[in-house]
Amino acid sequence: MTLIQITDREKTRLIVLALIVLSGLGLLGLAIWFIQLGQGHFYRASQEQQSVRRVRLPAIRGKIFDRNGVCMADNHPDYGIAIYLEELRRSDKRKQTSQKAWALIRQLALVLDLEPQTSLKQINAHLYSRKALPLLAWRHIGPGTMARFAENQMEFPAADITFDARRVYPQGAAASHLIGYVDSVKTAEDETEQYHYYLPDLEGKRGVEKIYNKQLAGTAGGRLVRIDASGYKHDEESLLSPVPGTDLRLSIDLRIQKAAENAVADTSGAVVLLDVLSGDVIAMASSPAYDPNVLSSAMSTATWQAIISDERKPLFNRAVSGLYPPGSTFKPLVALAALIQGKAGADTFFFCDGCYELGGRTFSCYHGEAHGRVDLVSALELSCNVFFFQLGLQCGYDAIYHSAMAAGFGEKTGIDLDGEASGFLPSKAWKRQARGAPWCDGDTCNVSVGQGDLLVTPLQMAVFTATIANGGRLFRPRLATGLRPYGQKDFEPIPPVLERDLHWPAAQLALVREGMRRVIGEPSGTGHLAALPDVVMAGKTGTAEFGRKGSRQNHSWMIIFAPYENPKYAVAMVVDEGVSGGISVAPRLRRLMEEVFSAEGAEG
Amino acid sequence: MNKIQQLRRLNLPIMAALLGLLGLGVLFIYSAAFSVSDHGGMPLYQKQMAWIAFGFVCFFVFALTDYHALAKYAWLLYALGIVLLLLVFAPYIGVKMYGARRWIQLMGVRFLQPAEFMKIAFVILAVRLFGYPGRNVRRLRYVFLGVALTLLPVLLIMKQPDLGTALIFFPVLLAVMFTAGVPGRVILCFVAAGLLAVMLVAAFVLVPPRLGMEEQEHRRLLGGIGISAYQRERIMVFFDSGRDPLGSGWNKAQSQIAVGSGGLLGKGFMRGTQNILGFLPRTVTPTDFVFSVIAEETGFAGAMLVLLLFGLLLYGMLRSAFLAADKMGMLLCAGLMTMLFCHIFINMAMTIGLMPITGIPLPFLSYGGTFMVTSMCALGITQSVHIRGDWR
Repeated sequence: MTLIQITDREKTRLIVLALIVLSGLGLLGLAIWFIQLGQGHFYRASQEQQSVRRVRLPAIRGKIFDRNGVCMADNHPDYGIAIYLEELRRSDKRKQTSQKAWALIRQLALVLDLEPQTSLKQINAHLYSRKALPLLAWRHIGPGTMARFAENQMEFPAADITFDARRVYPQGAAASHLIGYVDSVKTAEDETEQYHYYLPDLEGKRGVEKIYNKQLAGTAGGRLVRIDASGYKHDEESLLSPVPGTDLRLSIDLRIQKAAENAVADTSGAVVLLDVLSGDVIAMASSPAYDPNVLSSAMSTATWQAIISDERKPLFNRAVSGLYPPGSTFKPLVALAALIQGKAGADTFFFCDGCYELGGRTFSCYHGEAHGRVDLVSALELSCNVFFFQLGLQCGYDAIYHSAMAAGFGEKTGIDLDGEASGFLPSKAWKRQARGAPWCDGDTCNVSVGQGDLLVTPLQMAVFTATIANGGRLFRPRLATGLRPYGQKDFEPIPPVLERDLHWPAAQLALVREGMRRVIGEPSGTGHLAALPDVVMAGKTGTAEFGRKGSRQNHSWMIIFAPYENPKYAVAMVVDEGVSGGISVAPRLRRLMEEVFSAEGAEG
Repeated sequence: MNKIQQLRRLNLPIMAALLGLLGLGVLFIYSAAFSVSDHGGMPLYQKQMAWIAFGFVCFFVFALTDYHALAKYAWLLYALGIVLLLLVFAPYIGVKMYGARRWIQLMGVRFLQPAEFMKIAFVILAVRLFGYPGRNVRRLRYVFLGVALTLLPVLLIMKQPDLGTALIFFPVLLAVMFTAGVPGRVILCFVAAGLLAVMLVAAFVLVPPRLGMEEQEHRRLLGGIGISAYQRERIMVFFDSGRDPLGSGWNKAQSQIAVGSGGLLGKGFMRGTQNILGFLPRTVTPTDFVFSVIAEETGFAGAMLVLLLFGLLLYGMLRSAFLAADKMGMLLCAGLMTMLFCHIFINMAMTIGLMPITGIPLPFLSYGGTFMVTSMCALGITQSVHIRGDWR
């Protein structure tokens, strides 16, 4: 075969071919440079977007303790059985995987002797929207089920025990109105965008669980779940550990709280017991109560319906939300107003023949009893209406109004609880506007004995009592006395808040206190049934009428501070239906105060 | 020259590039196929190593054979290639996979893709046509004959259907004619015709839907000019990257994300999330998208290394062409170099979204037995030319 020499023309063409190849490779190089280095961030974002799911992890909620460190709200593990779908998958077909999961659940149901809690439909929904997360097949399983599962676990590699924190109230119904309860929230609006999967947080719905929700809730953490192209979990890495919530210490004393609840357990009513030197709520009870454990766990609709349709309103915290006319328990305020204004003194007296005529209307004393000549101290002791009608008129409503406002009537006390009512203190301007009629002497008479349009909450009465007891210093009542952020050993105390000092002159205040001492201390006092043998106490009873004429019923009241000399406690109790404060409430308070002082003795 | 002396004259740049590419290929086939649950068989990377071993045997056989002998049997090889291409359609012998007949089986074992064999046979025949002594390549009869001899296998391969592979033949023919000295105006006509064809296809695919033609109607129209429904989709996806991201647009989008997210140094061996998590289509990643895996896991640095190795390989082949002892040797090297370059360019351009998705493998890196052997044969022939080249 003869060889053909390569011509120059052909060599030139070869060079052209080489240049074409070179430019082809150069073009590829440029394109790769552009896509990997120029637009890398864009593709990295796309890659992350499609393969990484952020799961929000709720934090363990802070605990709640009473003043002695008794746990009032705790977290218990709530065990469940989860199915890991990525283990079940054989093909990318969702339907087959869901069938497999369903078969596994039925198999497990047989072995564990449980009814399936999940339906095929729910499995499909889970595969559709939450494929990267395990499917929770059973919640709230008991130790027996766990033991059976553990025995058979080898047979079910795709299933495992998981746990969740469940809110538990070890004291049951005790202090339920104060503690409140929690429920799970599905989404928190500002945060959802950060996360693809939002594991529900517990959120306080009432009580301090609600008011201190922010502190108790802690800081949620997050986890990155890498998913494969079919959407199943591939692996996961922790992004941020959740920080458990702050523990809360309450001012209440569980033993006294239980005594307070017992004191009103057989009726509907409320009682508030305060520490007069700080405004700390030592006990606060509202009856009827409810068990927050029932509301917090998986509650059936029927249970919820039963609770909210109960006529006696167990969810309603009468101590802060209940509005009552104070009746005669308001008289110390009227007496103080008159004394401070100089409109009355120790020697002021009025004559009582059982009733008082004013403008054609008759205002009478309780049961029309005639007290004869009464001075201020005995008027308090005997709860003489006729005296206070005249004292009120002599003092004038403006003075009563301003003193009552200063003492906190008609406004919220500012306690750290939800649903507090502000009560109502009628003003002259209000009556003109609302009723279209001017304020008249009859209105003054009504308010002077705690009736008419005046409305108070039991808490307001307790605060007022505490203010009398401590010499005129109005503390803001409170429940939380300390916060303990996660990881700290001791609670950081929250200082009490003195709202204002009313500067009640000591001499005049002493008259009122003496009258109140006699209410309990003298056999003729209306509250004598509350008397304890070894502690001198002072107080005031009250019986407020409500309802229409003819079918009138009574709210029975009593307020007490004790001990008389160096007061520590102030208490206010109201019972929805009763004969009178002296008969219906005084014995209850005696038992409660007995408990308070015996508990104190046990501590001391 | 005895065999040992011949082997001393091997083209070293080619050998260096070859070994580098083969090593990278096995490594990243291992990575790409790692998450695929194998069904008890030999892992893919081991199969690839077996094919490489067989490929080296072919390589040395061709390197040590005088390439003029090949030219002598050019027609025979071509005829054999055509017969094999026809056998694809024969019952029991041809195998249908993924909707295409590309394989021939013997005793139930798939062992050959005739189209790959045809690539080599075709280059040899083209070289014989334009490089045989005494031919005046300026005469148009050779050009027409060349086109006719190209169209035969092209049509058969398109029938499989495998448009991508079929389209490789034209640039190879063009390169051989160009280097053989076919007049420039003829070459320009070819280039113009090619560009026109591409533009026409693009126009046929893209314009009617814009004018409001019904999809069914449009498919029928394209079917009439030989464009199937999935080819239509691929072309439409190429021009509109947002199209059908979970269907026909998936591979392109995922491959681009894989390459793009690699960054400068990559995510690390076996750490490419696109690869490991299965976003790159698992069935074809070791074959068609192995470069995406390399670019994702080794980043720009690795991608440039691949490009440099290919550059070195093509440089070596061009050098062999320059140093060839005769025109036939030069044309062989140029033709085979063009064949490999087309594969390299089309595959890499496809993985970064510069070209529509086609099933063209990447030489020496992609998994694939027949193509590995074909590529090794191509280099063996090139070495044969080099060994017998006009240099000291």
